Order: sequence, then C-alpha cells, then structure tokens
Amino acid sequence: MGGLLDYLPGESIIHRLNPLVKLILSFGLCVSCFLSDSIIFVLSVIVINILLSMMARVFARTLLVFLSLIKFSTLLFIIQILCVRQGEILLNLPLGLYITDKGLMFSLLFISRLIAAAMPLSLTLSVTRVVDIANVLVSKLRLPYKYAFALTAAIRFIPLFSSEMAGIMEAQTARGVDFETKNFLKKIRLLLPLCAPLLISSVRKVEGSAISAELRGFNLRGGSSGYKQYPFKAVDYSALCLCAALVVVSVML
Amino acid sequence: MLRLDGVHFSYNTEGQGIQDVSFELKSGEFAAIIGENGAGKSTICRLCNGLLKPSSGTVTVAGFDTSNAKTSRIARDVGFLFQNPDRQLCQSTVREEIMFGMGFAGVSEAEERCSEMLELFGLDGKKEPFGLSRGERQLVALASVLAREPGLMILDEPTTGLDYMECTRIMDHITRLNENGTTVLMVSHDMEVVLDYAHRGLVLSGGRLIGDGSVHDIMRDAALLSKASLLPAQIPALAVAIGGRFIDIDRADDMASIVEAEANALAGDSRGEF
Repeated sequence: MGGLLDYLPGESIIHRLNPLVKLILSFGLCVSCFLSDSIIFVLSVIVINILLSMMARVFARTLLVFLSLIKFSTLLFIIQILCVRQGEILLNLPLGLYITDKGLMFSLLFISRLIAAAMPLSLTLSVTRVVDIANVLVSKLRLPYKYAFALTAAIRFIPLFSSEMAGIMEAQTARGVDFETKNFLKKIRLLLPLCAPLLISSVRKVEGSAISAELRGFNLRGGSSGYKQYPFKAVDYSALCLCAALVVVSVML
Repeated sequence: MLRLDGVHFSYNTEGQGIQDVSFELKSGEFAAIIGENGAGKSTICRLCNGLLKPSSGTVTVAGFDTSNAKTSRIARDVGFLFQNPDRQLCQSTVREEIMFGMGFAGVSEAEERCSEMLELFGLDGKKEPFGLSRGERQLVALASVLAREPGLMILDEPTTGLDYMECTRIMDHITRLNENGTTVLMVSHDMEVVLDYAHRGLVLSGGRLIGDGSVHDIMRDAALLSKASLLPAQIPALAVAIGGRFIDIDRADDMASIVEAEANALAGDSRGEF
C-alpha cells in the first residue's frame, strides 16, 4: 500500500496546475487557518481541502489523511481541553479536572487548525511529483539545487523509512515478539530496541543515496540544468487570485 | 509439519500474490522453493509463519492453523531467517542478540544454549552485531533463530550477498540441523545451493506451483525450469548434455560422478565395448 504522501497520477485541473502555484495555494490555506480566529472559517478551509481533493480525484486518500488526523487530534483535544482552566465550567470531572467553555472552544479551534493546515500538504504531494517541486523551486524561486534536493529527499524518505520499520517489525514478530499487546508501556519497551536497526539502515540508505548522487554529477547541476519548463497559465493566475482572496478573508474574520 | 491446502493470497495494491498452492512438508524434509522474481516465493514463506494470512485455503504449521494463531506463538516452533539480517538484529551485543529470541520462546536454559551457539558459529558474544561483516551478521541472525531449536526453519534467500565460504558455512550448519530432524523450507535463486543442499524442489511461476519433486529430477527438467525463468545448475546441465553418449551419468549431481562415468565410458571405448 502506498504512503499518504505518495504521488497519485492524474489529469485533473489540480494536477495540471503549476507546481509552484500548488505550493503557494497549499501555503495560503495553511496560513489562513492561523490568521483567522473563527472556527467556522477554519472548518470552511477543511471543506475547501475536501472539495479540491474531489476535483483532483484523490478523495479516498484525503479521507484517509483526514481520519488519521482525527485520531491524532482526538488525543491532543483531550489533553488541551483538560489543560485550559479559564472560562465558565461546563462539566466537572473526577481528580479536580473540569471542562470550561473557553477550553472547549480553544481545543476545537486548535484541532481544526491542525487538520486544516496538514491536509493541503498531503493534497499537494498527492497531485505533484516531488521532482517537479524540486525543479520549480530551483527554476522559479532560484533556490540552490542542494536545498531543493534535501527537501525532496526528506519527503521521499518518509515512506521508505516507514516501509523499513514495517520490515523490522515483521522480522521481530517472526522471532516471537508480540507487538499486539494492549499494554502501552510494554509496547514502547518492545519498540525501543528497534530504533537501532532503523537508524543504522536509514543512515546506510542515506549514505548510499548521497554517494550515488555524487557519482552522477550532483554538484554539477545548476539552475538551468532542468529541461522541463513550468510556464504560468490563466488557470494558475486564477488559483493565485483565489488564494489571495482567501488569505484576505482570513485576516478580516 | 507444514501443509498448504488450496491457498490463495493477494496483495491489495501491488504484487500478484499466489493462487491455489497446495503442498505438504513432512518432518525432516529439506525443500527449496524456486522461481522467477515475483513468483510468490517470499509470500509463501510469510504465509507459513503467519506473517500473512491466506485469502482462502488453509496453512497448517506445527498443528496451528495460521489464520487463527498469532505469529508470536507460531514463532516458538517456526524459525524464520530473512534475507536481510539487519532487520532481525536489534541488540547491542551478539550474546544479547542470541538471547533475545529465546526470552520470548520461554527457554529456561537460555544462557547455556546461547554459549553453545556462540561456540558452534565461532562468534564473539561481546561484539556489537552491526560492526560485523555481512556474513557474520547473517550467522548471528541464524544463531539467534537456531538457539530456540525450532521444528521448522524457513530460510528466505539465506545466502544472498555471501561469499562461497560464508555460504558453505551457513548451509552446512543448516544441513546438520536437518540431519538432526529439523524440517527446512528454503527460498533460493542459487541453483547450485539448491542442488547441493535441498532434497525436494517446489517450482513457482506466476503465483502457481508448477512443479514439485526431487531436486534431482527438477534440475533435469529444462522445460519446467524455463517456464519459471530458471537455468538448471551447471552439473546436471552438463550431465544432461553429455548423458546421451556416456552411460550411467544422467543421474550425476556432482563433478566426481561425471568424471568417473566418463572415465568408465572411455575405458569401455578403448576395450571396444562402447
């Protein structure tokens, strides 16, 4: 199964947008969530993300991302809601804990922002080849290739490390380790020793990739080395205008 | 010891899986699974110790139906050696590494057995596993599996990346284990290793079992091997190639028997008997 950040090929209008515009759009969506204090606006950004993913025909992936974020956010929501002590008490809990109206609103806004800000990243990577992101950063933003490569390599290595970890866990399961325990502390105790093989294999992979890149003329590459052009079209300008409008609205709300 | 009945398995997104595979491995057998890349060899290995559950059909190993049993429980009776030892090693010393698996298997005399393994494989228990050579790391991984004395050993390409001496050392240990009653199921691309060590061959192609017989017979079935994109080992290939002329060598599996047969035939020639 592919990771949540892998590219999904397609011919939708979102796929055909300029990679730089997709990055700006993604950044705009993230920033607007933090500029606005309105929970309605932040929820609207989540809806926009979902609509964009439907347009790009990657809704199933977005749904998976959304559900994963919900799981993670639930934990944060519980911690957050119990930590905020200001406001009117809505519910008293044992051990001197209570939930306040401000705590509830703040926690809801907090996790909504987290979800709304994380979804565009996954969507952008689902509809853009990592190599296009690197090329456009070098050709349009004049970012040195080294840094663009470092960024794209980091993205590319996430699923690799994830698959390596799955392989290591599989090997340990075959040795009799039971990772299915419900005891959280025991699970941590079982997982901790796996950091060593993961780290060592990761360092070996990175070292191998670096040597391989070096041997293929990595340092000779410059801003004009890429043969692919990324011209802006009318649809790109329209997307940028919509993004700018969204950021303005977020400041006003 | 191991039985697969009409086993189907498919991956959700990638890999073709296996279709309708059935075979039985009796205690003490040494079988090799051979086939082209992507034929489903490793999938069968993973099905045999419950890492994968069959989509349909049943896999019974050491009395357990793998669909209902936890892999950690099956692992007490089934040892699994992966192609990449680095995924198995996770402790800071060789001794701890060998002891690691035994702790989960509930072995009481772990210390004693660990010392036996260190001596058997000529390993230094105080060394850090990741600082060893590839062959030595594979030996440590093998020692940690063997220390639990499993009834069935599954070896997924155990000799890949090893030199001749390391390969021989590992395979000789496995052979001794097999002679003492351990059942062995091995995946290998190396036809020479298969011919030298395994007794039975299971040929897979496109996720289906297309051949099951003695390694000796399989190595002489060029059509069957060709279907699985394989070439026979050199000695049987040579034996088949010259077998039409020389008598008694069509079942030769080693160079000495070919030379002997050839010498006999030539001696017969010179006496005018051939």
